[in-house]
Amino acid sequence: MGDGNKAGLWAALKRPSAKYSLLTLLVVGFFSGIVFWGGFNTAMEATNTLEFCISCHEMRDTVYQEYKQTIHYSNRTGVRAVCSDCHVPKDWVHKMARKIQASQEIYGKIMGTIDTPEKFEAKRLELAEHEWARMKKAESRECRNCHSFEGMNIEKQKTRASKMHKIAQDEKKTCIDCHKGIAHKKPKGMKEDDEDE
Amino acid sequence: MHKNLVSLAVAGAFLAMGSQAFAAPDWGKVPTKNIEVFHPGVTPIEWATKKSDHSGSSGLKKGETCAGCHDEKGKLSIDLKRLASKELEPKGAPKTMTFPVGVQAAYDATNLYVRLTFKAPAGAADPQDKENEVKATVMFANDKVPQGAQVGCWATCHTDARTMPGADDKKTKYVKEGAMDLMQWKSGKGAKAVDGTVADKRNMEGGTAGVKADGAKAGDTYTVTFTRKLAGGVAMAEGKAVPFGVAIHADGAAGRFHHISFGYSLGIGADGDVKAVKQ
Repeated sequence: MGDGNKAGLWAALKRPSAKYSLLTLLVVGFFSGIVFWGGFNTAMEATNTLEFCISCHEMRDTVYQEYKQTIHYSNRTGVRAVCSDCHVPKDWVHKMARKIQASQEIYGKIMGTIDTPEKFEAKRLELAEHEWARMKKAESRECRNCHSFEGMNIEKQKTRASKMHKIAQDEKKTCIDCHKGIAHKKPKGMKEDDEDE
Repeated sequence: MHKNLVSLAVAGAFLAMGSQAFAAPDWGKVPTKNIEVFHPGVTPIEWATKKSDHSGSSGLKKGETCAGCHDEKGKLSIDLKRLASKELEPKGAPKTMTFPVGVQAAYDATNLYVRLTFKAPAGAADPQDKENEVKATVMFANDKVPQGAQVGCWATCHTDARTMPGADDKKTKYVKEGAMDLMQWKSGKGAKAVDGTVADKRNMEGGTAGVKADGAKAGDTYTVTFTRKLAGGVAMAEGKAVPFGVAIHADGAAGRFHHISFGYSLGIGADGDVKAVKQ
């Protein structure tokens, strides 16, 4: 009986419509597509805002407070990088992959994995290592949405920055190789990079 | 008569050579290099060479000097806020984190002369030295000290040395290889000049540089003059440059609570960050 129903539904979907014109179907399908697609992306973008990120106390009470003390939050020129600017890729394919991966965080939220400052602190290194690995694999793509060696005039930098950036370019390093802990506290017990030994 | 005059002059010259006071250079004719000293917090060599603590460690690996990055045309370029923070200074930072020290140097056939001029600031975080309000120290690295020309005094500064957090109170500064000469002037009454060395441990006597030190405070300015033999533990000679660093313990500070300079080179008739003038 059930099988018969399934076959019936599938058959109905496959059967050409006798009631609606092809134009009606195309127009309705086209606009439904826009509404669905627009809605999907709008919802996804809503999860990219700073407000969304700090709507959970896990982020608001910890890393957000640290980030507020840094240059990516407040600076001379008023250009602000919010959470997603660094932690979510801009292009659609990588963004989708990251969002799907981030859905694990819902599980963490339900289980209360980091729901106290102590639990967060205990997991800080592990969480940071995951993010550093992601950034390193992507060759600091999110940093480079704004910063690039091509656009950088190292002559205008302080000596220590200019010398280090010269070395970084020579050795084909990317931003995250050195710039860890610039928006949040550096975790304790960081491992040394093997390649630098 | 003429012969007598000559012999008198020769005798006078020998007398003068025997007395440091006469041999001291005319400091008015020796240029002064201002070197900023700063409170370093807990940043021993292990910290400086660890990438996760100090991203500049990759510069050190490439042969860069500390001063090469952090001395911006005579002005310090370091994160003083971080140095004074609980992360790097758990015990409390001094009120004044940096101040300049005027460094002059001269030499003759036998001796090296170094003069330091500075205003020692009050407001030490942990004034443990009750006998000496101020101590001024200069160290020189021999060519066996690992990275001696790059890191200066940091070669002697280790995480397990006394006054570092959790360190053994008996363990002094040390170098892993080679040796450094240490000369120190103390402001305490009757205090003797230190002619010391730092090898596997620090020795506050037994150096072979014949160090003499004179210091005085005029107004709020200290002037300390060191005299040492060129041929000490660290062998100096005309045409050579030697790595050195300066430390000032101000306001009764002790142990690691000094203001220190990065490592610089002292050129003896040679190029250097500080050039000793021939007498």
